Amino acid sequence: MKKHISRRDFLKLAGGAAVIAAGVGVLPPFVRKALAPDEVVEAQTPAPDLYWAGTDGWIYLPPDPPVGFYFPDDYAPAPFNTYIFGFRNVTGLTTVQKNNQKNHAQHNAPLFWANQYDPAHPKDFRVQLTNLGLGQRPDLVDSHTLHWHGFRNVIPFFDGEPTGSISVPIGRDFTYVYRPRDPGTYMYHCHVEDVEHVHMGMTGPVFIRPLQNGNTALYPSGKYVYNDGDGSTGHDREFVMFMSEVWAEAHWCDSHIQLPDWSDYHADFSLLNGRVYPDTIAPNSPINAATSINAHSVQRDANGELVAPVGYPQLQYQPLSSLITCKPGERVLLRFINLGFREAAMTLAGIKMRIVGRDATLMRGRDGTDTSYVTNTVLASAGESFDAIFTAPAYTGGSGSSGHGYDTYMVYNRRLTQVSNLSAGGFGGQATEVRVYPSGVAAQQYPNDWGM
Amino acid sequence: MQPSGFKSLRLGIVLLLALSVGGLSLGAQTGAQRVAAATAPAIGLACTYGPTFTVDAKTGIITISDGNTVFMWSYSVGGQPFQYPGPVLCVNQGDTVTVIFHNTLSEDSSIIFPGQTNVLANGAPAQPQFDGTGKATSLTNVAPANGGSMTYSFVASNPGTYLYQSGTNPEKQARMGLSGALIVRPTSGANFAYNRADSRFTPEEEFLVFLTEIDPYQHSAAEQNLPFDLTTYHVHYWLLNGRTFPDTIADNFATRLPSQPYGSLARIHPYDATAHPYPGLARYINAGSEEYSHHPHGHNGVVIGRDGQPVAGPAGQDMSFEKYAINIGPGQTWDVLMQWYDAENYSMANPIPVTVPDISNMTTGMFYSGSPYLGVKGTLPPGTSSLNQCGEYYIISHNHALFQLDAWGMTMAGQITYLRIDPPLPNNCP
Repeated sequence: MKKHISRRDFLKLAGGAAVIAAGVGVLPPFVRKALAPDEVVEAQTPAPDLYWAGTDGWIYLPPDPPVGFYFPDDYAPAPFNTYIFGFRNVTGLTTVQKNNQKNHAQHNAPLFWANQYDPAHPKDFRVQLTNLGLGQRPDLVDSHTLHWHGFRNVIPFFDGEPTGSISVPIGRDFTYVYRPRDPGTYMYHCHVEDVEHVHMGMTGPVFIRPLQNGNTALYPSGKYVYNDGDGSTGHDREFVMFMSEVWAEAHWCDSHIQLPDWSDYHADFSLLNGRVYPDTIAPNSPINAATSINAHSVQRDANGELVAPVGYPQLQYQPLSSLITCKPGERVLLRFINLGFREAAMTLAGIKMRIVGRDATLMRGRDGTDTSYVTNTVLASAGESFDAIFTAPAYTGGSGSSGHGYDTYMVYNRRLTQVSNLSAGGFGGQATEVRVYPSGVAAQQYPNDWGM
Repeated sequence: MQPSGFKSLRLGIVLLLALSVGGLSLGAQTGAQRVAAATAPAIGLACTYGPTFTVDAKTGIITISDGNTVFMWSYSVGGQPFQYPGPVLCVNQGDTVTVIFHNTLSEDSSIIFPGQTNVLANGAPAQPQFDGTGKATSLTNVAPANGGSMTYSFVASNPGTYLYQSGTNPEKQARMGLSGALIVRPTSGANFAYNRADSRFTPEEEFLVFLTEIDPYQHSAAEQNLPFDLTTYHVHYWLLNGRTFPDTIADNFATRLPSQPYGSLARIHPYDATAHPYPGLARYINAGSEEYSHHPHGHNGVVIGRDGQPVAGPAGQDMSFEKYAINIGPGQTWDVLMQWYDAENYSMANPIPVTVPDISNMTTGMFYSGSPYLGVKGTLPPGTSSLNQCGEYYIISHNHALFQLDAWGMTMAGQITYLRIDPPLPNNCP
């Protein structure tokens, strides 16, 4: 790559170095952007950090009661019952294995993460996208994109909004290149035919780790959400809480070559990390920790297929658990992301949370005023994210633990229409549990790791 | 779902129509619009200046981009043709604002000014109205049906963005379209949102984001003077500045939208420390009846004001916050600074660090220039047309409750607009 530095760039570099020493994160956003150096020198066309494939597939939701003739879907292969569009992580698969994943999407789309772009050690973050086509709908020739929702100062070429840039036809590849300069919690989705592709499941979480990570002087773990300068976003464990919805009629329409009237939208199911309670507290699919560098490396078989969570074959394409495990005194980060179409009121019963970030921004005014706040409920709109930290209380072993060996605190959507699975009575939908163990929870190896 | 190319072809034709009225070639116009268009910009906030206004409540028709037309009630400049939404009333802090209201509707109506204090109605303090049993009938004094009048006045004490709307049966009248924007400019000047140095913005980049909704059955019932059961209220259209996409990106006072004068395309230049140091300002108003979550791509808005108050602490501390989801509640107003930085300075000389696929291996959008670089036009696949003029960038901004981008079954037809980023000046853009 040709390296070219204009006079303006040079001034930015000079100014940037001084300010980075002081901590870029505390600067007003206007200044922060302008002072960031912007040159990367790498070998020609390095391999992508991640390789994503867009396709369709099938997932499982509690089949009783049915929703008219829309759900369970009569076309669904057992044990599944709901048609989706989605992404799969095909990093490291052979071409044959990759092509096998057509009609085997997962929900939600796989979480990925990266480190904040470091001007001192510049490295681009690359996500290659391919389009495998739709197995259930060979009549459709939709292109796909990767829109990183909230990525600041993106150029249209890498924004994934198809009208202002390009999208990826079936059988083609495109590599998105990012220099993520702003740590925090984001989401991504396909932006082609976006109401359909997003609702059908081509949507997932993404976050950026701050440059401050590794500094154990501010918080012993050295893990932070932002470059806070004071350790206020330090935490010991992190769990992504990604919210999406299923309107059964729309999913049935897509598998049956029909079109819904989207202005009649309503959510039949409300999902947390692609599942509904109590499946939300089922285990993660088996994950190879050592290779989970920028995304969960879910174990795959010889055909490249996902290995299902132990004991839950119906959750093969819903690999991400929402169970929150911790020990007393630990700070636990919950990254709430809502890519449903309705407001969610995620409540943590019995433990206060501090909201330290929102929409990938540290809760500070432009003059540094602390605007974080303490609450029991995160009210998250469509396309909004929150970073909430709670401190795990002491283990009581009281009546709530009932001899399980842990204390349980419920997390649920107080928008009560979204905390059921349509059945009469009983919790469902967007709900999960915090379990506080007296001991025996190992350090996390990846996000949403139970540590046990 | 793209079973055929017809839908995108149709959209393309509509867009061509929308853009063909660009620039200042406004063509033949009627009444109020001719008056306002003479001074208003083609893109950006289109003020009707006061501080004395004559406003009529009247009936009219708007068009939706699915091809439907909808019967509306709205406020219009006195004696001028129907428009929707109501005129953008612009005044200065400290002005005594007088609104002479004429009601041509077949039922009593009124105007309330949420956020204003000591409002007078015909010179006496404005009061809620009650029937003989003590039940409220209107939030303020009314102008009687079929030609009645009422004069409202108040001192615009606090700068900011405000809503005005019907206070009489608002569950019907406000939804029928009786609402509009009121802008109070601070004593600091028209390039500030508030009397704070950190609220300074670029005056050429001031935009209105006025969000409303329509249940076409309610409007049809009103047109036929039939009762409407509010328990069946079900929105099918969501509007931005009184239009649906792609009409939203047509210019202010576009000739083919004679009763919908306000465009919502935002046109800016990238940040530059000397040539363009200050951000733009988007004034969001939710005149609908539920929360909307608006998502501008490509930048985080800095929310500096809400409901006519700077977001500040008791000692003036800045408590503004960045948002990529501008989730604004019904009746709220938010003031949001917007700025786009050319963070990586990609250009032909500093190319993107990836090989651009051959044009036969990608699908291109109609706003795409054919090049990743700002100010550069490139090759597009044969048979495709581009509306891109000078290598400018188009970055979308839309409601993220994505079903609300629908117009009664037609997708990509609701609360959508674009941020147009032109190359730094001087450039070759028309």
